[in-house]
Amino acid sequence: MSEQFEPNIVAFLCNWCSYAGADLAGTSRIQYPANIKVIRVMCSGRVNPLFVVNALQQGADGVLISGCHPGDCHYMEGNFYARRRLKLLKELLEYIGVDPRRFNMSWVSASEGHKWKEVVEKAVEDARAAGPFNQFRRRQIGW
Amino acid sequence: MSAMLLPKDKWPEFTGRLAGKNLFAPALQGGIKKFAPVAAGDTVTLDEGNTTVPPKALLFPQTETLFRFAEGEEGMELPAIDEAAVLLGVRPCDARAMAIVDKLFRWDYEDPYYLKRRELATIIGLACSEPCLNCFCTSVGGGPASTEGLDILMVDLGESYLLEGLTDKGQALLDEFKDLLQEAGADALQRKEQLAQEAAAKIKRSVDTAGIPEALPGLWEDPLWQRVSAACLGCGICTYLCPTCHCFDIQDEVEGAAGRRCRMWDSCMYAEYTKHTSGHNPRPTRRERTRNRINHKYSYYVDKFGVIACVGCGRCSNLCPVNIDLIDILRQVKAAP
Amino acid sequence: MDLNKLRETAAGIVSREDVKYLIGWRRGTFGYRVSPYFIEDAAGVEELIFSPLCISNLATYLTLVERLPVPRGQQPDERKVALLVKGCDSRAVNQLLVEKGINRDRVIVVGLPCPGMVDWKLLAEKYPETEAPVEMRWQGDDFLLVHNGQEIVVPRAEALAEKCRLCRHPNPVISDATVGEPVQPWEPAEDSGVGEIEAKSAPERWAYWEEQFSKCLRCYSCRNVCPLCYCEDCILDRLNPTWVNRAFNFSENTAFHLARAFHLAGRCIECGECERVCPAGIPLGRLNRKLAKTVREEYGFEPGLDAEGEPFQASYRPEDPEEFIL
Repeated sequence: MSEQFEPNIVAFLCNWCSYAGADLAGTSRIQYPANIKVIRVMCSGRVNPLFVVNALQQGADGVLISGCHPGDCHYMEGNFYARRRLKLLKELLEYIGVDPRRFNMSWVSASEGHKWKEVVEKAVEDARAAGPFNQFRRRQIGW
Repeated sequence: MSAMLLPKDKWPEFTGRLAGKNLFAPALQGGIKKFAPVAAGDTVTLDEGNTTVPPKALLFPQTETLFRFAEGEEGMELPAIDEAAVLLGVRPCDARAMAIVDKLFRWDYEDPYYLKRRELATIIGLACSEPCLNCFCTSVGGGPASTEGLDILMVDLGESYLLEGLTDKGQALLDEFKDLLQEAGADALQRKEQLAQEAAAKIKRSVDTAGIPEALPGLWEDPLWQRVSAACLGCGICTYLCPTCHCFDIQDEVEGAAGRRCRMWDSCMYAEYTKHTSGHNPRPTRRERTRNRINHKYSYYVDKFGVIACVGCGRCSNLCPVNIDLIDILRQVKAAP
Repeated sequence: MDLNKLRETAAGIVSREDVKYLIGWRRGTFGYRVSPYFIEDAAGVEELIFSPLCISNLATYLTLVERLPVPRGQQPDERKVALLVKGCDSRAVNQLLVEKGINRDRVIVVGLPCPGMVDWKLLAEKYPETEAPVEMRWQGDDFLLVHNGQEIVVPRAEALAEKCRLCRHPNPVISDATVGEPVQPWEPAEDSGVGEIEAKSAPERWAYWEEQFSKCLRCYSCRNVCPLCYCEDCILDRLNPTWVNRAFNFSENTAFHLARAFHLAGRCIECGECERVCPAGIPLGRLNRKLAKTVREEYGFEPGLDAEGEPFQASYRPEDPEEFIL
């Protein structure tokens, strides 16, 4: 019997909404999978698409990006830019044959602890279904 | 040293047995021709023309680990380079390039990585019968059947291949295949000479290189460099695909607590090639970079090692996307006052 | 194409005091090759050509030419640069203007309506390259090739470059002077290259791109030739942080190609130069055009048509698609 695959997921959360939402989930004792490795950024608009590519290269099986709901951005419009960019990145990854389930994006506000739990569960479930990522992962450094 | 004949019906057996010796031969991979490993049972077809990527990539890999290190470990771990290889179908120009590059890697410091690979490789050359459009090997001291840098020279005589052992390494390999080979007669050697002359006569482009190494230092500030470099894109095609270009960059790659130091091809046509940490670049524009590329091949290398570091394979002229044509540059150098 | 008219116009421009040079094309040194040509005085226009072989996009030189610090006491050279553009090239000029990569007052755009260019690699199979440069002209809808002294009519479908089959803007969209009559835009062909990949399953798509990215030599000719890749400090050259390791391996090659394609998303004007110059024959256009297609179809945006427009990735609409967001 094989053990269930536990994916590694790198999550980029905006400081003002999603990070606070995840924090709320924590202080409210809402249980969610521990596969998420959170990196706090000031805004979802700060997420350079290369962060995603780099995370996949360095061993992530999935990437989650979360920001404020449209209209709620602390910087007025950062998440609108993120939305455009990351859609294109998603299309590009899919086009070269990377499983689209490895990439998720969500809007989670500071009060949505429960939504955060659902988002994480979905991201983990998706990445688990997609399996270990090794398409362009940096192989163990060889000769 | 002996000259032997390999009848063509024995070719599959010959290459089949060579395949057991870590054999590399030209192959088309996704539309690009380069030297690729030959597995047992693969057919090796040697057609006309040369590979896009020169065989230097096997002796001087595009990226090579020099050593590995890890946190908490004493010292470093060196790679073991111990696998012998056979390169089949190397064109005489590319083999000559190896002999030229050897001089550099043997110079003030003996480069263990390159020299070890070189020592472990047996190079079987294939004389050219149909030169490509931009071949000009005869202008720079080579020829369609030149033997420099080779262990064995192979010539297609139609019904059979003539194989000439040129070094002890090459001869030892031929001896292993005695059962497939017949002693070549004087007529075969004569035929080879004739074919080499015919091939040389088919070479379309040429440039008289006499006097170029002497003229170059005086043309340092000549307007010709601006002219020939104006269209340059500053990409790495001409240098990466040049069989004699050997510049490399050294970088560390660290992941977690372990890493490696590796060297990788570099190109003097890149903007950051000579860029200092301060931001100053002694070769600030493509003019100086182009001048350096030509001078390195046709002047500095001649000063240091007595040979032009260009073998006339024509790859740079062939593949430059903006028609920066080495032969044309050399002609302009000749014509300059 | 009236070459005399073109040369006359060019001579008029380069004779101006305030013009540094004009960038055009001239016959190459052999075969089908054509070389970008920098003309500084009126005498130079004799070699200027415009033929079906002038496929290269000269707009790249607007940003490629180095701008060195001006020595103390000297004035910077403020003269204008003139440039010959086809339809696709003119979109690159527009996009550069949108991004403020160039200054409108410093360029003179000479528009050349383009009846379509030849991909000489398609021709070379049948008519091999010769030592002497070949000549080509337009003849009706087809091409006339002068090969080994013989005049050969090459049907348009046989030699037309892929980017031209897909072309939607053969007439320059920005110009200060136009030479020649506008051409009638043709019905762009179906983008079979992108379509073919889209029709594949994900593992097949991966197998396809895996082979392509493995071939990459990392010579960066695709980046350098691109008129819209002009960052002074490219992430590919950066060491701290190292976004893409310089090492040549599959993982880094893939990261490089994703970065390159992504940086052109919403900016690529489909001039096809990246694909043309690639010595490994990687179909880079299929990456760029896929993103261009998404931008066009889902956002109704086409870069390089309006010099006053907004850059796609630095703008947004509240109603942009977000069906993929949880």
